Amino acid sequence: MSTVHVRIPMPLRGCTGGADEVEVQAATVGEALHALVGRHASLSPRLLSPEGTLRPFVNVFVGDRDVRALRGLDTPLSEGDVLAVIPAVAGGSAQEVLAELKARIPEIAPREALAQQARGALLVDVREPDEIAQGTAPGALRLGRSFLELRIERAAPDPRQPLILMCGSGARSLFAAADLARLGYASVCSLAGGFTRWKGEGLPVEVPPTLDAAARERYSRHLLMPEVGEAGQVKLQASKVLLVGAGGLGSPAAYYLAAAGVGTLGIVDHDVVDRSNLQRQILHNDARVGTSKVASARQTLEALNPTVKVVGHEEHLSSANVERIFGGYQLVVDGCDNFATRYLVNDACVRLKLPNVHGSVYRFEGQVSVFWPARPQRPGPCYRCLYPEPPPPEYAPSCAEAGVLGVLPGVIGLLQATEALKILLGVGEPLVGRLLYFDALRASFSTLQLQRDPDCRYCGEGRAFPGYVDYERFCASAAA
Amino acid sequence: MALELDGALRERLRHWAQQGYPWECCGLLLGRGAEGVVRVVEVTSARNLNTERAQDRFELDPQDFLRADTLARERGLEIVGVWHTHPDHPAVPSATDLESAWEGWSYLILSVAAQGVQAMRSWRLAGREFVEEHVS
Repeated sequence: MSTVHVRIPMPLRGCTGGADEVEVQAATVGEALHALVGRHASLSPRLLSPEGTLRPFVNVFVGDRDVRALRGLDTPLSEGDVLAVIPAVAGGSAQEVLAELKARIPEIAPREALAQQARGALLVDVREPDEIAQGTAPGALRLGRSFLELRIERAAPDPRQPLILMCGSGARSLFAAADLARLGYASVCSLAGGFTRWKGEGLPVEVPPTLDAAARERYSRHLLMPEVGEAGQVKLQASKVLLVGAGGLGSPAAYYLAAAGVGTLGIVDHDVVDRSNLQRQILHNDARVGTSKVASARQTLEALNPTVKVVGHEEHLSSANVERIFGGYQLVVDGCDNFATRYLVNDACVRLKLPNVHGSVYRFEGQVSVFWPARPQRPGPCYRCLYPEPPPPEYAPSCAEAGVLGVLPGVIGLLQATEALKILLGVGEPLVGRLLYFDALRASFSTLQLQRDPDCRYCGEGRAFPGYVDYERFCASAAA
Repeated sequence: MALELDGALRERLRHWAQQGYPWECCGLLLGRGAEGVVRVVEVTSARNLNTERAQDRFELDPQDFLRADTLARERGLEIVGVWHTHPDHPAVPSATDLESAWEGWSYLILSVAAQGVQAMRSWRLAGREFVEEHVS
């Protein structure tokens, strides 16, 4: 007989009155275990079968050797041996849950999914962005899994909309389908075999445009927002925005649009940097006084975001060149400082059906609106609907004449940039048919509703474009 | 009950879970328990002996258990629980987990996908079912 120490694991200490080690006298492992259960009877069913053999879910080690690899319960013991009772630690993932889901969620084959997609069912890819980047089914909504429940409602507002969920192999999509069914979607099924099988059966695959690792890092705060996400950021990257003027309004607007990742920024300006500009025109700096504003803007914007393409148009905007310059852009941010250009920008935007994000400032006040008569749904007025003719110059002095608080164009220019991004992304409600007025002295914003003039000479329904005019003369004549 | 697990330990578990993907991996939690709170001080990684179904089953190598137990005793700690991963499945105990669970331990489950760890939840056996415990 030897004195041996039996180590008791935590889950069995309830049977030993909390003791983590029990000393027994024994010559073999079997004797030691019988001595142990003799003292702590409730251990018996946990360690030994009714036949007296070691239970399969416990292991007994002498020193560092498994007794099953020695002589089992007959393994001899020596004085001072340490016997360790080790609970078998095992488990598994949710195969049973999966079986239950398979019984509940209809699964369809890739060809059937393709046919249903053609009949209006929404195919939803719930894989991770990196997996989707390798390829997905054309027309599949790339919603991912993490925010699926939050994003699905926007993509499928009607709970009767049939949905087909797709993942890599058909397991994750079952869970996702169960979650969406719980949200109230009446017709949800899972693509059997997932994208792997879809691709294997030779069905169409497309590699969606995606962001590279540097862009992913740069725009990570955008990517976190479902309203932008990777698809939105890719959209911004492909967007082309024209800024009329790289001055007080154009500076902050261009700066933030470049930061936000708008792929192409066109800038029309024929001016040079003047020291008096620097109080508000933050694209420029003291060292660049006397140099071209377009070149200065390009330098600043490329330093901030080298991936943005800056296209300079160093010319005076006129009836002769306006369509050549505006053509190819999706949206115009008007930051000009005179009425002649403002009417010209308006007329060209009406003619080319471009949204015109308008901003203007005066001393402590500013206003923003989006003039977009060609908007597909709920179109709004153009600038001429509100002001068919320019006011006399004494009613509308420029910054050079009336002065402006330096930060004011910052506020207004950024509201313009915000509207531009919303339109490019297709989110929210743009300032179409509304004018946002900011009074810095009162620190108040107010919104005015704007109406379309059905008889507007430029944007009235069914009217032919009346042509460009001599804008300098048109504005000068108002003074008369 | 609650399980306390600091950031550095979580990071290690995350790392192991991601490295192991798409296979199930497992290990032990070492620490101390008092007044309803189990504080994890050390985590270990163990071999999964179930190589046949490593995608959805694990069986922790008793040798690794023994090593962890020795390490724990040396440091005045205890084995307070088990962690294991559920590749591409939620961090919820399966029927297999329930069959093999022991009372008194925390069962920390990490749901892991190709992209990394999606969730980390802990469970304790209470009678014939698992009850979730808070992980902080």
